[in-house]
Amino acid sequence: MKTAPLFFRMLLLAAAPLLTDCSLVKQAPLAAADLATTGTSTEKPLTTGSQTDELDDYSEVSVGDPLEGFNRATFKMNDALYTVFFRPVSKGYEFIFPKPLRSSLDNAFENARYPVRFVNSTLQGKFKRAGRETGKFFVNTIFGLGGLFKTSDKIPDLTDVPAEDTGQTLATWHIPHGPYLVLPFFGPCTLRETAGMAGDYALNPVNWGLFWRKGGDWTRDWTAIPPAANTVRSLPDQLAKYDAAIENSVDPYISARSTYIQNRNAAANE
Amino acid sequence: MISTRLFLTLSTGFVMLTTGLPPLQANPAEAQARLKGAVEEVLRVADRAPSKAALPNLVRPVLNKHISFSTMTRRAVGPGWSKFSAAQQAQAVQLFSQLIVRTYSDKFTPGEHPVITYKAAVTPAAGRVDVPTSMVYKGSRYAVIYRMEQAEGWKITDVVIEGVSMVANYRTQLGAQYNKGGAQAVINSLNQSVSRPK
Repeated sequence: MKTAPLFFRMLLLAAAPLLTDCSLVKQAPLAAADLATTGTSTEKPLTTGSQTDELDDYSEVSVGDPLEGFNRATFKMNDALYTVFFRPVSKGYEFIFPKPLRSSLDNAFENARYPVRFVNSTLQGKFKRAGRETGKFFVNTIFGLGGLFKTSDKIPDLTDVPAEDTGQTLATWHIPHGPYLVLPFFGPCTLRETAGMAGDYALNPVNWGLFWRKGGDWTRDWTAIPPAANTVRSLPDQLAKYDAAIENSVDPYISARSTYIQNRNAAANE
Repeated sequence: MISTRLFLTLSTGFVMLTTGLPPLQANPAEAQARLKGAVEEVLRVADRAPSKAALPNLVRPVLNKHISFSTMTRRAVGPGWSKFSAAQQAQAVQLFSQLIVRTYSDKFTPGEHPVITYKAAVTPAAGRVDVPTSMVYKGSRYAVIYRMEQAEGWKITDVVIEGVSMVANYRTQLGAQYNKGGAQAVINSLNQSVSRPK
């Protein structure tokens, strides 16, 4: 078993949060009142008195980007990588698996991610939310055939529970973003969110098999299957969101950065 | 006491006289009703589109009616806006509205309708109402906030999807362009984006 399939090894690399934990995506409704100050804590004013009219409360989305040159190069490389490798994989997955099956797989993997949401809700002191997450998990696991069906959507109190993650917990603890980073494969991130991503990775049961596999012991290659499957099943959605962030932009790099930071800040404030 | 009351009455009357009408009071219900009507109208028009490519041309007149493109463009450009000539401002609005229509159209597939739940609207300032919604589209749930302002009736001035404000996003990009090369750099960059094939 020394020659583990290269395909799985590559996907294993990507199985962390490529576009799944540290990307442009989070369910993070922004409180309407926050819209008035989109970024008061997250953005800095252009200059003093720089608004264009009375109701203009916008400013440029700001995050420290001391490695911009390097980040731009990585962004370009990632874009090429998505085109030549991940898009074909995503298309293949969509071609082979019909939509209802893909939805069920999404539901099951999201359901399995319950410890990430539960632990982080608790760490943020959102005990009611942690309770709703638990209710959702049990309803979907028991009545939704292990999470394949999102039965919890039929219960109003469980339909729209904002998902918590480690990055949001760190933000709640007043840990700042740190420098903006574009990680190879994974895309937009910041130092804080990279740490958050590692926490989410460790808390996600889908990855637990990997911790059991010892260094070079490829006899347990099968442990890579759940995280690899998780990456593949999330590709269509993640790539669609990546496209939405850069399509029709003036500067795709800045657009992706601004989208990512706004989204993460809104998630942290939720 | 009487003199205080008299003073207050007189001063209130004076303020009303000098400022004309009292400040516009935002009416959340009216703004929300306007938004619902606009969304329904867009969906009706989108349903008639024979293909996705035909969508932008079909929805443009409807969006023109319900979105204040001039406000969006001005705010997306930011403080540099006042340095634009009238002709440059008109050109920027025209290009920016093309981008917004394209962005909006890209999100729709004719025949597929989102299920939208409208939540309680809030009024962060006079003349402004934010309508938060929860939208389920193609199996995914999105939090979308419509920012509406009163300018010749209620019009949409921003859409915030999953915490990402469209105007703030463009402001960050266009602000960088303005700092590089002023109004012309902003127009050139908008021109490039509009002409970029999808």
